[in-house]
Amino acid sequence: MSGLLRRMGLYALAAWFALTLNFLLPRMMPGDPAQALFARFQGRLEPAALEALTVTLGVSTAPLGEQYLTYLGQLVRGELGISLVYFPSPVSEVIAGGLGWTMFLAGGALVVAFTLGSVLGAVAAWRRGGWLDTVAPPLLSFLGAFPYFWLAMAAVWLLGFQLGWFPVRHAYGPEVQPGFTLAFAASAVRHALLPGATMVLASLGGWVLTMRNAMMGVLDDEPIRFAQARGLPPARVFFHYGVRNALLPSLTSFGMAFGFVLSGALLTEIVFAYPGQGYLLLQAVRGQDYPLLQGLFLTITLAVLAANALVDVVVVLLDPRTRG
Amino acid sequence: MKRIVVILALLAACADPQGETPAGTLTVLQEQQAAWVRNFNPLLTTGGARWPTTSGIYEPLLVYNRAAGESVPWLATSWTWTEPALRLRFDVRPGVTWSDGAPLTAADVAFTFDVLRRFPALDGAGAWSFLAGVTAVDEHTVEFAFSRPYSPGLSLVGGQAIVPKHVWEGVADPVSFTNPDPVGTGPFTEIRRFDAQVWELGKNPRYWQPGVPKVDTLRFPAVASNDQALLALVRGEVDWAGSFVPAIERTYVDRDPAHFNYWFPAVGDTVFLYPQNATPPLDDARVREAISLAIDRKRLVRVAMHDYAKPSHPTALSDGYRAWRRDDLAPDGGWVRYDPAAAAAGLDAAGWTLGPDGRRRNAAGDALSLPILCPAGWSDWVRAAQIIARDLDAIGVDARVEGLDFSAWFDRVSRGDFALALGWSVSGPTPYAFYRSLLGSDTVKPVGTAAATNWHRHGSPAADALLAAFEATVDPAEQRRLSDALQAAFVEEAPAIPLFPTPAWGEFSTQRFEGFPDAETPYATLSPNAVPDVLLVLTQLHPRDDLQAGSR
Repeated sequence: MSGLLRRMGLYALAAWFALTLNFLLPRMMPGDPAQALFARFQGRLEPAALEALTVTLGVSTAPLGEQYLTYLGQLVRGELGISLVYFPSPVSEVIAGGLGWTMFLAGGALVVAFTLGSVLGAVAAWRRGGWLDTVAPPLLSFLGAFPYFWLAMAAVWLLGFQLGWFPVRHAYGPEVQPGFTLAFAASAVRHALLPGATMVLASLGGWVLTMRNAMMGVLDDEPIRFAQARGLPPARVFFHYGVRNALLPSLTSFGMAFGFVLSGALLTEIVFAYPGQGYLLLQAVRGQDYPLLQGLFLTITLAVLAANALVDVVVVLLDPRTRG
Repeated sequence: MKRIVVILALLAACADPQGETPAGTLTVLQEQQAAWVRNFNPLLTTGGARWPTTSGIYEPLLVYNRAAGESVPWLATSWTWTEPALRLRFDVRPGVTWSDGAPLTAADVAFTFDVLRRFPALDGAGAWSFLAGVTAVDEHTVEFAFSRPYSPGLSLVGGQAIVPKHVWEGVADPVSFTNPDPVGTGPFTEIRRFDAQVWELGKNPRYWQPGVPKVDTLRFPAVASNDQALLALVRGEVDWAGSFVPAIERTYVDRDPAHFNYWFPAVGDTVFLYPQNATPPLDDARVREAISLAIDRKRLVRVAMHDYAKPSHPTALSDGYRAWRRDDLAPDGGWVRYDPAAAAAGLDAAGWTLGPDGRRRNAAGDALSLPILCPAGWSDWVRAAQIIARDLDAIGVDARVEGLDFSAWFDRVSRGDFALALGWSVSGPTPYAFYRSLLGSDTVKPVGTAAATNWHRHGSPAADALLAAFEATVDPAEQRRLSDALQAAFVEEAPAIPLFPTPAWGEFSTQRFEGFPDAETPYATLSPNAVPDVLLVLTQLHPRDDLQAGSR
């Protein structure tokens, strides 16, 4: 138990470090937000607008230490400030618009890829040298090696545009209103299939290989042979002695991968015009929108830490050796 | 497993192609956004308000039509200078009502400008740099008193979107107000739907133009990339767009030649190669001219701009200024023609002679080395810069392209920290603002200080006198004479090297709607990016006659 507490203390330290870095990094970028915003108009604004923008955005000239204290204070109160690119909408509101969809799409794709990959990997290792073991790992690694952008574009062009099997954009159709209706749910799932499938396809190979290799190692161990010698049913040996132990390394990667769910869906969202928050990140960087950047990094950082903390707890439950 | 297959089959079964758009709903692609944020504050200078807030939901007193080069009376029926360049009177159109039923009066106009005075953050046009006071003389007359003679103020004042006093006087902080449910005078005022990925704007039933608008609803799907925009265009899901489309004849028009159209008039701002005038060797006009002569602009627009643009006019004025432009200054193309021999001669004369290694050096032995700054992600500009670098290399000038991240590029350009840099320019209804930003001494900031304009740091005393005289006169003939002299001064001093005017991107489909402007009927600029011109288009569009009467 004390081990778990020590871990949590480390997580708190990591969170503080990330928050501080989050504060410093955007401020090291050249230019200031008013300039960046003015530049986005490419001459369509009167030159006088640069002054108006500087006043509007209240570009802070306070000493860095003071800004840092204000920043920490705001975080404690749960305020993320006002977005500059989407001025004057609060950052929390801007992020909330896309966060749910990103979680749904990328989170769903991750869970599917992890589950499917682990099952395929375990089965491949169980029937070593079988057809699945021969075909799946090289084929999936091959697919995963494609540049993701290309894979996604090809999927949109072929399956969405040429064949018309899937919608080519958005999270739900224009004919349905968001709400707790079957039509909306069906539309949302239908729209998530193609982008989700490309994400699963791109990452599946990794999960299969990790699981297969771990499972191979476990299956060669003494306890498995002992269990088999004891005449336990193969299903019990497979799950209780095999999968349970082999899953540990995969589970750790799952925790890491979860963090990238929130940031790594950028390409998917751009290619499929999915209203998630990946594109927001790009906008925020381009517009030097410090508050939005910080809000986004904060959600990503906290998600990574939370996912890892969760994985730590699960690992403790699965693996008696970690209950130090 | 079987169950999953069944579910998938069910989902695929209801996968009929995207629900048919209702008749009367016009789909527009203008802003590139992944998710919509609800904001309809027309006074914001940050661009945070959704298109077409400033010219669709709200309206200005005058609409400047850059295709025709004239101002169209809009919320004002007429205007007069009661004292030349010092006192301006607008007659506010009678019979106009806000979308909540209240009448539009001169008090609304005066109130709008009072808000700009109280909140400088909203005064994007810098109106209060030349205004002294705005008063509602009577219910339909508003008078602007200027603090100094400033005739260009007419278009700045006339272009301001007007907000209703009875709504906005209750707004404590108009700077941070998102105005979620707008009350405007425009043709479209009703927010029918607002989701992260699509929103719809319905027509204003009380609109002041009888029988207008004929379009019932505007629909805005969120699309974040050019590829997705093209996909939507090709599938006929979009009726009107303002995006860049590569090889448009083949990728778009050929898909449905009877209905798919585009029009890219060269009325956008001119793209320049800015030489930093404050530091040698580019403080020498002969060197700047030589660089201009060395550039093969025809090849540049072909390679970098897909031939959508054309080489710049010697005066750098785009087609938006056709009525002002002088063709007598340089009939042979003058300093913007392609003439490497003349360029080499010019550099020789300036003291940069060709050495045995094929590089040009001055008497001190320094090589002529001019890096070209350019935003790295802008592929069209990067290609343009590469062509310039090659052309310069051909006459012995060492020019390499330095691609920078957009904000880093803008930071260095605005601080004047460069030798050569690609950049856009300022535009307005008259050549005044354009040449002021290129020649005016008062726009010159010291190198190292960020400047909104005049990045090349060139101040011309001769032009200053002309600009001041232009500010003081409202006589069109006199303004023309001054504009002619400004054009001559620009060609003479060669402060910045014009490359090509940017086309105003605009695509439309007549599958469902008609009335779009194009090269044959150029009543306005097609591009939805051109505000406030879009008001002219929004009030002209109508469903196709055969569809209106038909069974659809």
